[in-house]
Amino acid sequence: MNDIQYTVERLWAGQLGNSFIVLSFVSAFLAFIAFYLSSKNSGYLKLARFAFNLHGFAVVGIAGTLFYMLFNHFFEYQYVWQHSNTEMDMKYILSCFWEGQEGSFLLWTFWNVVLGLLLKFQLKNGDWEVPVMTIFSLVQVFLASMLLGVYLFDYKVGTNPFLLLKEHAEYSHLPFVLAAKYESTARGLNPLLMNYWMTIHPPTLFLGFSSTLIPFAFAIGALWNKKYNDWQRIALPWTYFAILILGVGILMGGAWAYEALSFGGFWAWDPVENSSLVPWLVIVAAGHTMIINKNKGGSLFTTHFLSIGSFLLVLYSTFLTRSGVLGTSSVHAFTDLGMTGQLVIYVLAFIFITVALLINDKLFKVSYIVISFLLLFFGMLYGYKKIILMIWLGSSGIITFISYYLYFPKEKDEEELFSREFWMFLGALVFLLSGLIITYFTSIPVINKLFNTEFAPPKVQVYNTWMMPFAILVMILIAVSQFLKYKKTDPKKFLKRISYTFILALLFGTVCTVPLYFLTNSETKGIGTWDLISYSLLFITGLFAVLANLDYFLTVLKGKVSKSGAAIAHIGFALVLIGALVSTSKKVTLAKNISDKKLSSLGKDFDDRESILLTQGDTLPMGPYRVVYKGKKRIGINVFFTVDYLKLNKDNKPEYDFTLTPQIQDNPRMGQAAEPDTKHYLDRDIYTHITAADLNIDTLRKKDAFGSAKNYIGHVGDTIFSSNALVIIDSLRSNLSKAQYEKNDSLLEVTAILRCVNTQGQSFFARPKFIIQNNVIIPKDDTVNELGLKFAFWKINPDEGTIEITMSEKLANNKDFIVMKAFVFPYINVLWLGCIIMAIGTGIAIRERIRIFKVQS
Amino acid sequence: MKKLHVIGIVIIAIAIGVIFISLKNTSTYADFSEAIANPEKEYHVVGKLDKTQPQLYDPKINADQFMFSLIDNKGISKQVVLHKSRPQDFEKSEQIVLIGKMEGNDFHANDILMKCPSKYNDGKPPMK
Repeated sequence: MNDIQYTVERLWAGQLGNSFIVLSFVSAFLAFIAFYLSSKNSGYLKLARFAFNLHGFAVVGIAGTLFYMLFNHFFEYQYVWQHSNTEMDMKYILSCFWEGQEGSFLLWTFWNVVLGLLLKFQLKNGDWEVPVMTIFSLVQVFLASMLLGVYLFDYKVGTNPFLLLKEHAEYSHLPFVLAAKYESTARGLNPLLMNYWMTIHPPTLFLGFSSTLIPFAFAIGALWNKKYNDWQRIALPWTYFAILILGVGILMGGAWAYEALSFGGFWAWDPVENSSLVPWLVIVAAGHTMIINKNKGGSLFTTHFLSIGSFLLVLYSTFLTRSGVLGTSSVHAFTDLGMTGQLVIYVLAFIFITVALLINDKLFKVSYIVISFLLLFFGMLYGYKKIILMIWLGSSGIITFISYYLYFPKEKDEEELFSREFWMFLGALVFLLSGLIITYFTSIPVINKLFNTEFAPPKVQVYNTWMMPFAILVMILIAVSQFLKYKKTDPKKFLKRISYTFILALLFGTVCTVPLYFLTNSETKGIGTWDLISYSLLFITGLFAVLANLDYFLTVLKGKVSKSGAAIAHIGFALVLIGALVSTSKKVTLAKNISDKKLSSLGKDFDDRESILLTQGDTLPMGPYRVVYKGKKRIGINVFFTVDYLKLNKDNKPEYDFTLTPQIQDNPRMGQAAEPDTKHYLDRDIYTHITAADLNIDTLRKKDAFGSAKNYIGHVGDTIFSSNALVIIDSLRSNLSKAQYEKNDSLLEVTAILRCVNTQGQSFFARPKFIIQNNVIIPKDDTVNELGLKFAFWKINPDEGTIEITMSEKLANNKDFIVMKAFVFPYINVLWLGCIIMAIGTGIAIRERIRIFKVQS
Repeated sequence: MKKLHVIGIVIIAIAIGVIFISLKNTSTYADFSEAIANPEKEYHVVGKLDKTQPQLYDPKINADQFMFSLIDNKGISKQVVLHKSRPQDFEKSEQIVLIGKMEGNDFHANDILMKCPSKYNDGKPPMK
C-alpha cells in the first residue's frame, strides 16, 4: 500500500464514508439482533429502534458523502473518477450516483431505510413491529454488506465505493494514476444515460423493488408467529404501493429504451427488463389474493407464497443482472464485480429462512437446518456445488408443499364457480404462471451453467407467442370478475349482465381486426394465421375488458371515482396491452431497400429489408414520404444526421413536412451507439435510427481534389468500374504504323479511347496518351470533367497484349451517405395513455385502501 | 377433488409443456461444424472476426447485406453473410455471436451480437 499522501487527496471523505459504511453494517446487525430478542423480551425494543434509526442515519451519511464527493469532483476516488467528470452537465450528477453497482445498491438500501422508518412508525407498539422490523433489519444487514469491500478469508464481501484510485486493483498501476492525473482522465457518466428518464427511472424502480420487501416482511413474520390472518389488512395498501411504483418504474424504463436506445421499440424482452417485470407480475398476483383474503378469507398459502416469491424474485433478478451470468444474452446487464457468490448466498439464505419457518415441527425444522448447513459446508469444502445446490433447492421445494399440507390452515368449503374469488384467484395464478415462464426463459443462461447445456436464449418472437394466451386469458378475467360477487352470484343474471359489453366488443373488435389483420398484409416476418387469430382475440378481449370495466364504473359504481380504483386500473392495463399489440403487430417498415437483389429465396427469416440508403442531396421515396439526407454535424460526441421529410401536396408536388435528426453517439465506453429520433403524432409515431454511417466530418475536403489513383490492367473491350460510371476500353490508336514503329524509335504515341457510360446511359470519352520519346515514357493524362474521372495510360505489356491505366476519382464523387431504418408505430399513444390511466387507478385504489384501513383500526 | 386442484394440475402440466416444447425448438450455441452438419437448423455461433479475410459492405448495392469471415471457437473460419447493415464499430468487437444457419458454403445470419472490450466498460446502464 502506498502511504504517501498527495496534496490533492482529500482522504477525510473516504474515511468518513467508510465509517458510515461500517456503522450502517454494525447498526443493521445490532437492530436485527435486538428486534429478534425483543420478540422474547420487550426490554430490547428501545435498543432495537435506536439501532435501526442509527442505521438510517448511517445510510443517509454514506449517500450524502458519496454525493458530496461527486458534486465536488473528488476524482482521486475511483467511483467518482469512473462515473463523473468535469465536462458533463451537472444536471445528470444524480445519474452518476446510481450508474455503478455500488451506487445502485446504495439507492436500494436508502429506500429500504425510508420505508423501514415509515413502517416502524406506523407499527409502533403493535403486534407486527417486531417481526417486520426484524426481517427489515436482516435484509439491511445483507444490503449493507454489499458496500463493505472487505475480504473474509478468500471471499470478497461487497464492493466499496470509497476506494481511492490508487488502491483499486485494476487502476493502481496505470501511469496516470501514478502521476496523480485524476481529473483529466476521469471517465465520466456513460453518455447514453444522459437522458432525463435516467434521472427518474432508477430511483422509481428501486423504490418499487424496496416496497416488495414490505409484503415479504409481513408474510415471513406471519410464518414466524403463526399468525396467518391478520397482516393482510396492514400490508394491502403497501402492496398496491409496490404495484404502482414498480409498474411505473418498469414503464419508465420502456420509455427510455424507446427514446434513447435503438432496439426498435419499447420492449425487447431483454433479461434486464424481464427481471423487473416478473416481480411485478407476482406482486400483482399477491395483491389480488390479499383482497380475496380480506373480503372472504382463505387463499392464505397463496398469499404468503406470492408475497414471499415476489421479493425472492427481486433478489434473483439482482443476481441475474449483476453477476455476469447472462453474458452475451443481455445487451445491457451490469458487468461482473466479483459478487456472484455473495448474491447467490443471499438468494439462498432467504429461501432457507422461508422454508425453515414454514416447518412447524421442531424435529423436522432442526433437521432441515442442520442438513442445509452440512450441505453448505460439504459444498464449500469438497465441491459438487451444482449437484448439491439442485438437491437442496429440489428438496426445499418439496418440503414447502409438505409443510403446506401438514401445517397450513386450509379452507373447508370449496369456492363457488360463480364467485368473484374463484376467478380472481385464477387470475392470480395466470399472472404467476406467466411470470414463471418468463423467468424460465430468462434463466436459460443459468440453466446452461447448471446442466452444462448450450441452449441459446429465446428470441423476442418466442416470448410474444408464449405470452399471448396469458394476455387473452387475463383480459377476459379482468372483464368479467368485477361483475361477480364474493361467495355466490346468480349465473343467469351475471351472464346477461356481461353479455352486452361482450357482444359490443365482439362486433366492434371484429370490424376492426378483420381489415387490420386479415385483409392487409402484416409486415412482421414469420407471422402465421394462428398468430393473426391470437392478435384478433387479444384485441377483442382487450376491448371487452375496457368496455366491461367502463360499464362497471358507470352503472354499478355510478361513476364514483374513489371506489373505482380497480376498474380504472384495469381499463389502463387493457389499454397498455391493446396499444402494445397494435403498435407492434401493425408496425410498418417505411425504409425498404430498393435494390433488385432478392433475398427472400433464402427463407422467410432473411426477408428483412429494413434499411434505406440515403446519399447526401438525393431525394428518395420512402413510404408516403420523400426523404432527403441533408448532412451531418457533430456536437461533442454526438453526430446528428439531418433528414428532411417531404410529403406530396394536392398538386402532387413534394412539400416540406418535418425534419428528424437521428444521431450516433461516439460513445467512448460502449462504442458507437445509435439514438433514434421520432416524430410524434396523436395516432402514430414515425421512428427512425441510423444503422450505418461515416462519422468523420471532413471539412477540409476540397471539391476539386482527386483521390488516390488505382491501377487497372486490361485488354481492349474490358470494363473498369468507377463509383459513378462504367469505363470501357474501346480501342487503341497509334500515330505510327507497325512498320514505322519498328524502324523509328524517336517518338511513339498511343492513345487509349475510353468510353465512360454514366448511370443515365450517356457516354463520355477520355483519351489518355502513352508517349515514348527517346526511350522515356511520358504519359499524358485526360480528364472527364462531367464525371470527375482522371485517367493516365502508362504501360503497355506487348507480350500479354494488355495495357495499364490508372484511374482517380474526384473526392466529391463519393458523396456522404447514411443507412437508416424507419418504422411507423401506429397508436402507440394508446399504450402510454394506458400506463397513465393504470397508475391513476392504482393510486385511487391505494387511497381507498388506506381509508378503509383507518376506518377499521 | 377441488376445482383449484384441477387448475393446479393443469398449471403444472402447462409449465412442463413449456419447458419441453421450448427446449425442442430453441437453437443452441454451436460451432460451424455443427451448423454444417444440420443446415436446416438455426444456431448461435460464437467466434471472432477473421481479420485476414476481406469484408464486403456496399450499401449502394444492398444496405442490408454485409459479408465477412468469422473464426469459430474451434478455429474454423467461414464466410458469413449477415443480412443487416454493417454494425458500427464492427472492427472493435472482441467476440461475436451470430444467429443463423448454413446455406451452401456461407453462414447466413439474420442477427448479430457483439461484445466490445470491457476494460473501462463498466458503465452499463443501471437497470436497463
